[in-house]
Amino acid sequence: MIVCVAVVGHQNNPLYIQSFTDADDALKLHHIVHCSLDVVDERVNNPKKAGPTLNETFLGLLYPSENFKVYGYLTNTKVKFILVTTELDVKDGDMRNFFRKFHSVYVDAVSNPFHVPGKKITSKTFAERVSTLVKSFGSSSAA
Amino acid sequence: MEEYAEELRTPPIALIALVGCQELHHTISTHLHSDQPPINTLAMPDFASISSLLPPKKDKNAADSANGSVPGIIKRDWLLKHRTRIPAVIAALFSYAQISGDPTQWLQVCTDLENLKFISRGRNIRLVLIIVQETPMDEINEERMTALRKRAEVESKHVIFVTPNTSEFTESLNRLAIVFAELANTYYRDEGRRIKTRIERKSYGSVEMNIRCCFKVAVYAEFRRDWAEALRLYEDAYHALREMVATSTRLPATQRLVEIKTIAELLYFKISTLLLHGGKVAEAVKWFRQHNTSYRRLIGSSEVAFLHWEWMSRQYLVFAELLETSSAINQGIPALLFGVADKLLTEWEFLPAYYYQLAASYLKEKRSCLELSLSMMETASELNSRDDSVIPSVYMGQFARLVEQDGGLATHLLTDEEYIRFTLAEGKRFQDSFEIIALNKKSFESYNNLKVQRMASYCGFQMALEYFSLGDLSNAKEIFEHVAAVYRQEGWIDLLWEALGYLRECSKKQLSVIGFVEYSLEMAAVPIFSDGDYQSFKRKECGPAGLANYSQRENIHREVFGLVKGENKIQSDGESNVLEVSRENPILLEIDIVSPLRIVLLASIAFHEQTVKPGMSTSMTLSLLSQLPLPVEIDQLEVQFNQADCNFTIINSEAHSLSENSSYQSSVRMEISSALVLTTNKWLRLTYDIKPEQSGKLECVSVVASLGPNFKICCRAESPASMNGLPLWKFENQVETFPTKDPALAFTGQKAIQVEESDPLVDLCLSASGPALVGERFTVPVKLVSKGHPIYSGELKINLVDVKGGGLFSPREMEVSSSMDSHHVELVGVTASGTEEETSSASDCIIKLQHSFGLLSVPTIKEGESWSCKLEIKWHRPKPIMLYVSLGYSPYSAEPAAQKVNVHKSLQIEGKIAVSISQRFMLPFRRDPLLLSAIKSNDSELAALPVNETNILIVSAKNCSEVPLQILSASIEPGDGKDNEGHSCTAQHGDIMPGEEFKRVFSVTPEPNTLMVSMGTLCLRWKRSSGHHQSADCGPANVEVLTKHKLPDVNVELPPLVVNLECPPYAILGSPFTYFVKIRNQTKLLQEIEFTSADSQSFVMSGSHNDTVMVLPKTEYILSYKLVPLSSGLHQLPRVTITSSRYSAGFQPSLAATAIFIYPSIPRFMVNDADHETPEAVVAG
Repeated sequence: MIVCVAVVGHQNNPLYIQSFTDADDALKLHHIVHCSLDVVDERVNNPKKAGPTLNETFLGLLYPSENFKVYGYLTNTKVKFILVTTELDVKDGDMRNFFRKFHSVYVDAVSNPFHVPGKKITSKTFAERVSTLVKSFGSSSAA
Repeated sequence: MEEYAEELRTPPIALIALVGCQELHHTISTHLHSDQPPINTLAMPDFASISSLLPPKKDKNAADSANGSVPGIIKRDWLLKHRTRIPAVIAALFSYAQISGDPTQWLQVCTDLENLKFISRGRNIRLVLIIVQETPMDEINEERMTALRKRAEVESKHVIFVTPNTSEFTESLNRLAIVFAELANTYYRDEGRRIKTRIERKSYGSVEMNIRCCFKVAVYAEFRRDWAEALRLYEDAYHALREMVATSTRLPATQRLVEIKTIAELLYFKISTLLLHGGKVAEAVKWFRQHNTSYRRLIGSSEVAFLHWEWMSRQYLVFAELLETSSAINQGIPALLFGVADKLLTEWEFLPAYYYQLAASYLKEKRSCLELSLSMMETASELNSRDDSVIPSVYMGQFARLVEQDGGLATHLLTDEEYIRFTLAEGKRFQDSFEIIALNKKSFESYNNLKVQRMASYCGFQMALEYFSLGDLSNAKEIFEHVAAVYRQEGWIDLLWEALGYLRECSKKQLSVIGFVEYSLEMAAVPIFSDGDYQSFKRKECGPAGLANYSQRENIHREVFGLVKGENKIQSDGESNVLEVSRENPILLEIDIVSPLRIVLLASIAFHEQTVKPGMSTSMTLSLLSQLPLPVEIDQLEVQFNQADCNFTIINSEAHSLSENSSYQSSVRMEISSALVLTTNKWLRLTYDIKPEQSGKLECVSVVASLGPNFKICCRAESPASMNGLPLWKFENQVETFPTKDPALAFTGQKAIQVEESDPLVDLCLSASGPALVGERFTVPVKLVSKGHPIYSGELKINLVDVKGGGLFSPREMEVSSSMDSHHVELVGVTASGTEEETSSASDCIIKLQHSFGLLSVPTIKEGESWSCKLEIKWHRPKPIMLYVSLGYSPYSAEPAAQKVNVHKSLQIEGKIAVSISQRFMLPFRRDPLLLSAIKSNDSELAALPVNETNILIVSAKNCSEVPLQILSASIEPGDGKDNEGHSCTAQHGDIMPGEEFKRVFSVTPEPNTLMVSMGTLCLRWKRSSGHHQSADCGPANVEVLTKHKLPDVNVELPPLVVNLECPPYAILGSPFTYFVKIRNQTKLLQEIEFTSADSQSFVMSGSHNDTVMVLPKTEYILSYKLVPLSSGLHQLPRVTITSSRYSAGFQPSLAATAIFIYPSIPRFMVNDADHETPEAVVAG
């Protein structure tokens, strides 16, 4: 189950962060998303280590936490997508797929002429679409 | 890791026992210990004690296999026993005397050997005999030796002779070590093999036995340093153990799980140690992950969940420590596995910090579970008393109750309930907070060292939470502040909110009012809205900050403003501890341009203009912005400038009380404004006029807002042009507003304005008449006339600048000419000539002069008075220059720091050459020497002069200037090797007008034997003609100027031939006269001369027409012609052309030389006085 998704701007500021959890750990998820930016930085700044994933937007597993796994995705405009999931066994392909969809939703949202780039995303449509996407991910992987 | 026993942490070392010959034990054991690999030694004093050490092995295999179940997996002391008590080899030391001694001694040896054999046989312990000789000569007879070997049942190579205190002793020790190592190896291998066959045969009765066997084999392999085998068997044991979790029913559930986990921990520790020491970091990490996933879910019953979390925490901690100790390997984060496989490892998993942090996190989990369990067990009050009768049982991971039974002690198994109670009581004894802090701290520091800031701040946050809960507020606050700075920087508002909440609480508990107010204000002003773009968090999570929503911000706002206005007080811990703001402890907040409190109050100042004259008024706009959720009313605003005179105060007219008590500071300008209310995200713009009096920069420094009687915020003023966006709010999606109404001003407005100088009321006159002449000291009068300002501490700066921009100074010319001429134009002097009474003060003037720069202090001049001085400038080259004169003075006082006013004037002055001098050489009339150099080269630069002839030098000086000049004298300062006349002739000439020439004639007679002579320098003294009008303003008229002109060098040569024409000065019509042409040969050679004469219509001529004659050396040949003029007037004499064949040179007299005037009759001359012009007239004619 995806418990949290976040869009982080290129100054590492949160543009959108939404958790999908009933437990009272939303703030902890914020911490996890924030910490995962360090890994993103590390990977972006040391592309040599990344090797074959040089030109890839999907950053893969960022780090495993106690109960979560954190995945990352970096767009060409240095906007980061962070995803926190409780599922310990996720296929990379599924993740890629999810991020691809998420990216297109994000692109739709920022293409809004009233959206100022670099500002928080407050679009309700975006939130709805993201939430649908997250739910569908859970169901598809469960199925 | 320290909690593990020593025998677990270090690799096992082979053990041998020494018995007999006690005096050698120390030497041997030291040697063996330092051997590579080392061997530990058990030193037995005598043969009797060895049997107490090693009780005979009881045969329990039968019992085990009989009932098929064992009470535990691994005995607690098994490893220790094998490491410290059961030797692989027993070395029996006998002295030579004992062996070869009398039968009693031999009998004793035999008994001892029997005993040893009895002990070692059951355990396969190897036996070595060491015979200690006194000297190498000591020999034992063959028979005795055979008997000894037979008794001891050892091979002959295991009987070793040593001779202490000899040179071979070390060698024999080495031999001993080799034998021991070999035998120990065999022993451990055999032991391992023995157990291994049981595994292979699957002859063990239970899983427990299987695990135990694997473990033992692995340990034996470790004894042999066969790491690969050890690792494999540990892994086998580990896997077997994992399978046991679901199947075993031996113990009550809780204790069973505890035992399994304990063993798993041990096995895993061994595995990861072996992996890490083998440098297989990635595998170790993978193993850890596997270990983690295998056991993480095995929480067990909820009452003892805390045990599980403690166990988990320990796994992480131990692995972190292992990673750290093998840090040599993981210097860099290895990338080998990243991005390769699906099950890739991430960077952080190679860092100990990651594991420390998770260990801390699990420890926290443990603590909360423990608290929960304790609260559920609250009724059981006996928890408080420690149950001393529960002790660790002989099996690892088991506990048992010690009971007295039948006079002795016996252990009983515990029930789960008893066990839980026991662990809870144990758990209660420990304070986990310090441990959590220590773990987080390790992680925090490690991440910080790696510059992994966000991870570090998360650890810091956890650490600070612990400090906070422990009540260590200062530590907590320090870390929270650090963490908050990180969150603030990147705009993680929810995290910041949480941290600020704790900080606020810390300040409250520490009774720090200012801290409380600061954090409260920041919290109230952070961009958090309740309209759902950020989900609200559960109350429990948010800590003391409360829910992050808009209404909470409003609450905080109300609370803090109630406090600062003195309306309410805030309770801290006790009743007596209250936070309050009162007259006794007022609050002043400073907000600078990097302060996080800029979001609370931001002051921007924009002057509408860039420059202003002093005394003139200009407008400025003061704009204030606040992001506080509720409107804030400001009582009073003080605007402070760097020029204190400009400060002013804006008073809210509704805050009536302030206007009354403000009378005491009436010196400051007061403005009344109707409403000073700041609403959220809306600029409050106030425009006022400012009238600066002082010139220079006027800058707004700060704006102090009073909000209530005892609360002030001092806000550093910012320019709209260079203002940064508000932190945190810049990421918010909201309308951008400008601090000023005029958007252009919002982009360009500055908080500083340049105040110009006041207009000078002093006239500075520079007057110069016409161009300056090169060489003279040209005077430029400077006049200061005060027209309204007195002049105090005035200073006159004089600057000469080349108009064309080039320097006035050329280094190249400095080399050739004297230093004085190195400047083309030079300021040579200043004469101050004030009014009569100020002559004395004028002499006090400080004058500093350089070549092109002068500084001159001006005396104090009262209003309406004037002062003047003269600048003397000398030109060395004709050059136009720009003269800049600037006067700086202070119009009000003589203090050095007083405001200065500057007046600038400039004047362009041409420098011109006064006289241009040219010269010409001439020979006497009608006398022409043959100068060979003139024939050879036509373009000879140097003029040639014949030797011993009287030459004439005509120097002419032309007035090139525009003023009449008076020539005072002209003279030649001689060069060398020549004679000239007219050295210095003073000429009392009249003025020479512009364009006129002045000429002077010198005669030059070169002496023989010189080739080239310098003609010397012409010195011309002149001055400006002291006419009627100039003397008033042009000083130099009466100063004579010396112009020097270097005359060119000349060649001197001896002419071989000199031709003289001789004829009377005039002739009379019809009367005959004689015309001689004298050719003088000055050489010692015979000269052949051709001559021809042409007829002339005006004369009747007699004489030879043409001929070739020979002129003898040093003689003169004279051609004579008799002529009768036929007509009057100026006529040309018949032309005689002379050609020298030797020199191929022809001579034809010039027209001037052959002209003669024919009078019709004898003229009558009037005698007039001799005129100096005469020769001039001749030459001119």
